Amino acid sequence: MAQPLVKKDDDRDDEADYSPFLGIEKGAVLQEARVFNDPQLDPRRCSQVITKLLYLLNQGETFTKVEATEVFFAVTKLFQSKDIGLRRMVYVMIKELSPSADEVIIVTSSLMKDMTSKTDMYRANAIRVLCRITDGTLLTQIERYLKQAIVDKNPVVASAALVSGIHLLQTNPEIVKRWSNEVQEAVQSRAALVQFHALALLHQIRQNDRLAVNKLVSSLTKGSVRSPLAQCLLIRYTSQVIRESANTQAGDRPFYDFLEGCLRHKAEMVIFEAARAITELNGVTTRELTPAITVLQLFLSSSKPVLRFAAVRTLNKVAMTHPMAVTNCNIDMESLISDQNRSIATLAITTLLKTGNESSVDRLMKQITNFMSDIADEFKIVVVEAIRSLCLKFPLKHRSLMNFLSNILREEGGFDYKKAIVDSIVILIRDIPEAKETGLLHLCEFIEDCEFTYLSTQILHFLGIEGPKTSDPSKYIRYIYNRVHLENATVRAAAVSTLAKFGAMVDTLKPRIFVLLRRCLFDNDDEVRDRATLYLNTLGGDGAVVQTGEDVKEFLFGSLDIPLVNLENSLKNYEPSEESFDIYSVPREVKTQPLAEKKAPGKKPTGLGAPPAGPPSTVDAYEKLLFSIPEFANFGKLFKSSAPVELTEAETEYAVNVVKHIFDGHVVFQYNCTNTIPEQLLENVTVIVDASEAEEFAEVASKPLKSLPYDSPGQTFVAFEKPEGTPAIGKFSNMLRFIVKEVDPSTGEAEDDGVEDEYQLEELEVVAADYILKVGVSNFRNAWENMGADCERIDEYGLGPRESLAEAVNAVIDLLGMQPCEGTEVVPNNSRSHTCLLSGVYIGNVKVLVRLQFGLDGPKDVAMKLAVRSEDESVSDAIHEIVASG
Amino acid sequence: MLLAILVSNSAGNILLERFNGIPSEERLHWKTFMVKLGADNLKGARNEELFVASQKSVYIVYTVLGGVCIYIVGKDDYDELALTEVMFVITSSIKDACGKSPSERLFLDKYGKICLCLDEIVWQGILENTEKERIKRLIGLKPPNPTEI
Repeated sequence: MAQPLVKKDDDRDDEADYSPFLGIEKGAVLQEARVFNDPQLDPRRCSQVITKLLYLLNQGETFTKVEATEVFFAVTKLFQSKDIGLRRMVYVMIKELSPSADEVIIVTSSLMKDMTSKTDMYRANAIRVLCRITDGTLLTQIERYLKQAIVDKNPVVASAALVSGIHLLQTNPEIVKRWSNEVQEAVQSRAALVQFHALALLHQIRQNDRLAVNKLVSSLTKGSVRSPLAQCLLIRYTSQVIRESANTQAGDRPFYDFLEGCLRHKAEMVIFEAARAITELNGVTTRELTPAITVLQLFLSSSKPVLRFAAVRTLNKVAMTHPMAVTNCNIDMESLISDQNRSIATLAITTLLKTGNESSVDRLMKQITNFMSDIADEFKIVVVEAIRSLCLKFPLKHRSLMNFLSNILREEGGFDYKKAIVDSIVILIRDIPEAKETGLLHLCEFIEDCEFTYLSTQILHFLGIEGPKTSDPSKYIRYIYNRVHLENATVRAAAVSTLAKFGAMVDTLKPRIFVLLRRCLFDNDDEVRDRATLYLNTLGGDGAVVQTGEDVKEFLFGSLDIPLVNLENSLKNYEPSEESFDIYSVPREVKTQPLAEKKAPGKKPTGLGAPPAGPPSTVDAYEKLLFSIPEFANFGKLFKSSAPVELTEAETEYAVNVVKHIFDGHVVFQYNCTNTIPEQLLENVTVIVDASEAEEFAEVASKPLKSLPYDSPGQTFVAFEKPEGTPAIGKFSNMLRFIVKEVDPSTGEAEDDGVEDEYQLEELEVVAADYILKVGVSNFRNAWENMGADCERIDEYGLGPRESLAEAVNAVIDLLGMQPCEGTEVVPNNSRSHTCLLSGVYIGNVKVLVRLQFGLDGPKDVAMKLAVRSEDESVSDAIHEIVASG
Repeated sequence: MLLAILVSNSAGNILLERFNGIPSEERLHWKTFMVKLGADNLKGARNEELFVASQKSVYIVYTVLGGVCIYIVGKDDYDELALTEVMFVITSSIKDACGKSPSERLFLDKYGKICLCLDEIVWQGILENTEKERIKRLIGLKPPNPTEI
C-alpha cells in the first residue's frame, strides 16, 4: 500500500524539505535495477536502488512473479562485488524477495560458498538467507554445516544457526530434531543470546517429552542463566513442569522456591514473569501468592506505563479467583483510575470492582462517574459488566448501583453499550426483588428517549412480564402508551402487546386499557391493528371488569411449549393447502447444541437476549420437555435439574453428558448423546444403567433414541423411582447400547443392516446437593432473624487437615450445593477463621439457611461450627446428616 | 511471535511495515488500528515515552521517536514487557543509525541502514539481537567485539 508521503517541516534548515523517495514509482525503480547487470558495478548506486526496492516492499507494495524473478536474477549478479556494505544489502534483498524453489538454485552455490567462508559474518548471513529460502532437499545437504554453526565459537554464527533451527522446526521437524546434542551444548554457552536462542529451540524440540523438559528445567534452575530473556523462558518452562506435575506429586510444590527467588532478580522483566507464573499456579495458596502480589503492587506505582499495565492486568486476573489477595493493592489501584492510559485505568476500575467491599462501593462509584465520560464504549461495557457483578455480590447496594446505571443510560453511547446497561438492569431486577420497582422505572424513562428499536421492544416485553406484578401497575401505562404515539410500527406493536398484558393481569386496569387498545384500531400499520383487534376480542372488549380466564392468558401470553426452532422448521416445511397447519404436529424434543457450538466457550446468559433468560428458562425448557414424554408426565413438578455432567472424555467417538432431573418421588437421567463419526448412523440408542450401588432407586421407565446421525445430538432417558421427599443418594454405572450402521460418505445413505454395539460411559452419582436448589437471599441477617430459632440445629465438626481454609470452605459449599450469600464464599488472606453464609431450598420447597463458622485448629486442621435454620426441623437435621456423612 | 513492526510519520502515513504471520488481507486492518491508536494517544507525548495497549490476545507497545511513530505488535511469548525490550533495541538502533532521534526526513535518508538494523533485530517474528553496539557492527558485516559477549 504505497501511501502518498506527507512532507513535514523539518527542524533543521540545512535539510531540504523533500523526501528522498518523493514520487517513487515501482516501474521506474525496476528499470533502475538494471544497474545490477552492469559489468562495472557501482556499489553505492546499487545500494541506493536496493534501498528503494526495500522502501517499496516495506510499504506493502508487491511485485508480480515476473518482476520478482527479474529483480532476483539481477540481485544475484551482485555476489560478484566484494563491497561489504553491498553484500549485506544483497542478503536482505534475497530474503525479502523469497524466490521460488526453481529460482533458488541460482544463488545456492554463492550462499554455500559464503557459508563456509572464513569471514564469520558471511557465514552468519548466508545461514540465515539459506534457511529462509531452502527446502527439505537442500537442507539435508547443508545440515552438516548448520550443526557445526550451532556450536561455532562466534556467537553471531551460533545464534543465526539456532534461530534458523527455530524456523526450520516448523517445516522440517525431523531434521532439526537430530541437532539436539549440539543445541544442548549451545545451552551452556557463555554468550547470553546464544543461550537464549538455544534454550528456546531445545524446548521446542523436546516439548512433547515431559521427562526431558523436567530434566532441562531441573538443571538450569540450579545453574546460571545469563540473560533476562532466557530467564523468562526458563520461568515459563518451569510453570509448565509445575502444572504437569501437580497431580502426580504430593507435598511442597516443586520449583516454587526458584520462582520465588526470581522475584528478587534485578531485571523487571524476570520479576514480572515470575510473579505472573506464581499467580497462575493451579490451586495457589495465600502464602505462595503473597510475595508475588507484593512485587506487582510495587509495579503499580512505577513510572513506566508498561509495568503499570502489566501489573494491573495480572492483578485483574488474580482478582477473579482470589479477590481478597488483591485488596492490599486497592489504594494504589485507585490512583490508577486517573492514569492517562485508558487501558490501565479500565483494568484498575474493574479490578477494584471485583475486590472492593460493601463500604467502599459508594466512594468507588463517585470516582467511576468522572472516569466514564472520557473512555470509549468498549471500555465502558467492561465497567458496566463489573458493576453488575458487584451489585449481585452486594445486593444491599442496589440503590446506588442502579442509580449509576440509570445515569449512564441517559448519556451518549452506541447500541452495544446501551444494551449492556439494559441487560444489567434487567438481571438486577430479576435477582434482587427490592430493586424491581426502581429498575422498571429507569427502563421506562429510557424508552421515552431510546433510539434503538430492538432495545425498546425488548424493554416493553419485559415490562409486560414484570410490570403487572408490582404494587402499582398503573404508573407504567403512561410510558407504554406514549410509545403508541411516538414510535415506529415495530415498537408500537410491542407496546400494544404490553398494554394487553397489563389488561389481562390487572383486572382493575382492564376498562382503561380497553379504551387505549381501541384507539390502536385506527393505527396505520397492519400488525398494530391486528394485535389490538386480537387482544380486544379475546380479553372481552366490552369493557366489563371480569377476570380473564387462565386459558385465554395462556393462549395470548403463555410461552409456546414447543421449541421455536422446531416450529420454524415445521412452518418452512408446511405447504399451503386445504389442510390448515397443525401446531400439535410440531416435534417437542429439544435438540441440544450441535458439536461446534458445544465446544465453543459458554457464553453467559444476558438479560434481554431471550427473556426470560438464565437458569429459570432452562428449568422451564426441561420441565416442558419431560412433561411432553408420556412415561414421565405423572411425575409431578420438577424440583431441580443439574448442570450437564460429562460421561465421556473430550474428542471421543461418542460424546455423552447427563442431566439429572429430580422430582419428589423420581429421578430422570437425560443422556445427551452426540455421534462424532461421519461414517456412522446409530439407531435405537439406549443407556443400560446398573443401579446396584444405588439401593433406594428402582428403574421404572426408559425412552430410547430412535436415530442418532452424525453431529445431530439427541437424547435418551432413564427414569428411577425413589422414596418420596428424601434425599436418596447412589452411584450408577452406564453403558451406551445401540445399533451401528455404516454410512456411505459420498451419498450420505446408511446401509440397511446394522450391528449391535456397546460403549462404556463414566459412572454417575446422585448426591445430596442434587436435592438442594441454589436460591440466594438479598439480606441474610434479616432472613436469618425472620426464620427464627425454632428449627435451628447447631453442631461442631472437625474437618481434619486441609490445604487451606478457603479449600475447606469451598468443599462444604460444594457438598451442600447451596448459594453463598454476600460474597462470604471468599476467604480473606491469612485469616485463621471465617464465616460463610449459605441459602437454598430443600426438596419439598423448604427454605434453608446455613451459617458456617470455620477456624484453624493447629497449623492445618480445620474445625467447623454448623448452624442450620429452616422451616422444618427434619430438614435442619438432614443438612447436618449430609455434612456428617460427607 | 512478533507480529508486526510499523513505522509511520506523525501524520499517520506508513514509512515502514514488517508483518510476520498476519495474512495480507488483515494487514490493512492492523495498520488502520495502530495509526488510530497513535492519533488518539501520541499527540504531545514525550520522546520515547512508551504506550501500551492490548487487543484480544495481542499486545501493542508504541512510542514516538523524533518525527516518527513506532508500533510493535506481539503475542504469546512477546507480551508487553518483551515488546518493551524489543522497542528499546529498535529505538536505540535507529538513533544510532541516524545519529540522533530522527526527523521523518532523516529516517528516510537512513532508510537502508534502518532496514539492515531491523533485519538484525527481528527475524521472521523472532528477536535475534538486542545489543545496539553489536547491531551497529553486524550491519557493516563486522564481527562483534569479543568483549561484549
